[in-house]
Amino acid sequence: MRKFETMLLLSPELSGEARESVLTFLAGIIERGGGQLLETDHWGARDLAYPIKKQTRGYYVRLVYLGPPPLVAELERNIRINENIYRFVSVRLEEETAEAPHVQ
Amino acid sequence: MYNNNKRRFAPRRKFCRFCAEKDTPLNYKRPDILRDFITERGKIIARRITGTCAFHQRALTVEIKRARQLGLMIYTATHSAEVLKKSVL
Repeated sequence: MRKFETMLLLSPELSGEARESVLTFLAGIIERGGGQLLETDHWGARDLAYPIKKQTRGYYVRLVYLGPPPLVAELERNIRINENIYRFVSVRLEEETAEAPHVQ
Repeated sequence: MYNNNKRRFAPRRKFCRFCAEKDTPLNYKRPDILRDFITERGKIIARRITGTCAFHQRALTVEIKRARQLGLMIYTATHSAEVLKKSVL
């Protein structure tokens, strides 16, 4: 079981509950894939450094989870299907790194 | 036989910020720290100028590229389409 972190860039126009439904959908995939969602860190809406999909703002969510490596591929496959998720970056974390809180 | 010390200027001792100081977090989630390592046009500054060691410079470039991908950092200074339109006229 490895520890992973996926940073998602969601469309800013997404309403609160639409965003929640996307996140619960992804959490479901993690659980089904035998993983365990540790943390859902909402960075909130931020200005982008450059326009992405004609948007100048984006909503950032960071998912930290444990799981077998193939789970990440499955998760990303679902992320690619969802058109409200503009960008994502998945990273493998060393277990013992104390996760520094995000700072703007 | 030539002495090159006349030409050799004495660079001030540069050090790798990530090795020396407290372990400043080096990851794409902290664009404010990474921004010290790019030019205002958005290019990654060379090691010999910032003094970072090879190991951290490699990690730095990976993190900067991730931050750029997520829209946390710019790729180039002139991004917005409006600028292009204006310059075309």
